[in-house]
Amino acid sequence: MDIFLQLIITGLMVGGIYALVALGWTLIYKSSGVLNLAMGELTLLGAYVSYTFYQWGIPFLPAVFLTLVVGALVGLLTERLCIQPLIGEPTLTVIMVTVGLSFFFRAVIALIFGTDTLVFTPPVFPSEPIRLGEVVIGQVYVWSFVAALLVLLVFVLFFRYTRWGLAIQATADDEMAALSIGVSAKFVYAVAWAIAFMAAGVGGALLGNINGINISVGYLGLLVLPAVVLGGLNSVPGAIVGGLVIGILQNLAGGYLDNLTIAGLKVIPGGVKDIFPFVVMTVMLWFKPYGLWGWVKIERV
Amino acid sequence: MSAMRLPCGVYHERYQQDHAWWQTRFVWVRMVSLCLLLFIGLPALGNVYLLSVANVVGYTILSALGVQLLIGFTGQVTLGHAAFIAVGAYTSAIGMLQFNLPYPVSLMLAGLLAGVWSVLFGLPSARVKGFYLIMTTMAAQFVTVDFVIAQYISRIGERGHYFSLPPGTVSIGPWVIDNELSVYYLMLVLVILSLVFVGNLLRTRIGRAWLAIRDNDIAAEVLGVNIVRYKLLAHFVAGVLAGIAGAFWITSLYFVSPEHFQWSWSLWLVGVILIGGVGSLYGVIYGAMFMTLVPELLKALLFVLTQSPTMVALFPFIPQLLDKFLFVKEATFGLAIVLFLLYEPKGLAYRWWQIKNYIHLWPFSY
Repeated sequence: MDIFLQLIITGLMVGGIYALVALGWTLIYKSSGVLNLAMGELTLLGAYVSYTFYQWGIPFLPAVFLTLVVGALVGLLTERLCIQPLIGEPTLTVIMVTVGLSFFFRAVIALIFGTDTLVFTPPVFPSEPIRLGEVVIGQVYVWSFVAALLVLLVFVLFFRYTRWGLAIQATADDEMAALSIGVSAKFVYAVAWAIAFMAAGVGGALLGNINGINISVGYLGLLVLPAVVLGGLNSVPGAIVGGLVIGILQNLAGGYLDNLTIAGLKVIPGGVKDIFPFVVMTVMLWFKPYGLWGWVKIERV
Repeated sequence: MSAMRLPCGVYHERYQQDHAWWQTRFVWVRMVSLCLLLFIGLPALGNVYLLSVANVVGYTILSALGVQLLIGFTGQVTLGHAAFIAVGAYTSAIGMLQFNLPYPVSLMLAGLLAGVWSVLFGLPSARVKGFYLIMTTMAAQFVTVDFVIAQYISRIGERGHYFSLPPGTVSIGPWVIDNELSVYYLMLVLVILSLVFVGNLLRTRIGRAWLAIRDNDIAAEVLGVNIVRYKLLAHFVAGVLAGIAGAFWITSLYFVSPEHFQWSWSLWLVGVILIGGVGSLYGVIYGAMFMTLVPELLKALLFVLTQSPTMVALFPFIPQLLDKFLFVKEATFGLAIVLFLLYEPKGLAYRWWQIKNYIHLWPFSY
């Protein structure tokens, strides 16, 4: 039983970070209709940028804040240079542009920083784990979860109580209506992309603390796609719930399904943890493609 | 885009002439000389490096043909093609090593298995389309390569997931394929056969059904095209082509590893299609040539730059770029895709068609 709780709580912690990155993805999709496959590389960018700032001697919190600023700038640039010219083009074109950007970012980062695993030195979080009853959680996980929750809270408050946030919500809901009451779509696109890049940047900075920073952190950012498929592409609470659920399911699968032996025969030798979110995604796509809270698309011929 | 434009004074008098692939004498001469160049001219140069580059181009063409079939001709976006190429490669390798099948048999088996595997992951296309299909194919990619192959297939014969074939394993009858030249000839035969096959398939009822599905699948269904059957058939044929590409690749490398069939290769293939031109067979060739030759030229350029001390003094990171050339290649790919999609979204085939139009109409402008 305690293994079960342990897995769930660790999964929840990591799921908080996935939820943050998934929020950014959903934001881009809702406001500009772009399916961004570069989220993995954006988390990578955030991780390496925060690492650089940290290595320059800036304490961790201001380093994360500076990562936010850099993320916002890169997001604005990307949106202006690469996405705006492609408004109205077919979906595949825009997806492939994000793919091209992801290749470019990953390659440039690898050229600048190399492929070795980099670790935050001195360690950001104390290595003494926290004990809750029988469950042992590393402090990295707890503080990452808290940070992710805080950032999520800030974003939700931003969307609800500021004019800019309301403008973004209005455009995401019905662009024509928002345009007609004076909301500038260009502005909304730019802010949405900036926020998504910021979310991914913070997510990367937090993820980088867990196992060191490596090119493979980008793969973790790719898990945002099962999360949004689970929650529904169009739904912000769906993205958050999806991220948490994917984190939990991934850890449960890793704990229980790895080395599964049925009647003495080793059915699943291992390596389930990496691909289980994609299995979940495939199952969702077979039975409920629009996710838990997504909008069902009705196509007219 | 491929409508034949006949010169003045040339008229077709029989249906047979109208249906022909090569409709005028000029095209005959051109194609025959191309064949001579490919079969005799290029190997006669004696440069093994050129042959190996040509082999990579051929492999890219074979791999991208399946993707073009799915994306360009049936409208099903697929981001998981490398998984099916991997299925083909592993089937062929294990077939030859474990079960001692001769290479042609293992090639066909590889195609068949990859086709069936592709249909399995194409089943959701009966229900979902667009983004959701992209996600399904992406899941196929990861589940196949990172799980099924890494965990289960690697247990067959206790070989692990990367292994090499002993030299001399691959042979068609008495002809052993073990150097670049023989791989080159095999590549030419396979590429020409695949292109002819797909080209002819597009002219049949099946091909027209695929094009109808691409343009508007609900309207196609209304007109009586069974879209589920034809979508699954498209997945099957694309899988067969991928399997053949994978089986070809092992003859070139004599080595299989999941590293060759990662998600980045799937994306590379879609990039090849987009740069060459979606929906055009020639686009596959142009895209493959572009995406293979441009990094090679870049590598040569970097090499030349590192030889000159002034350039190294100006840009001290150039030797480092040459060391980590893989990442320069990826960065070029990313940049090429973004630039092409921004400024040349219909690809090289379209641009070439525009150039031909301009030449045909000159000095008139329309």
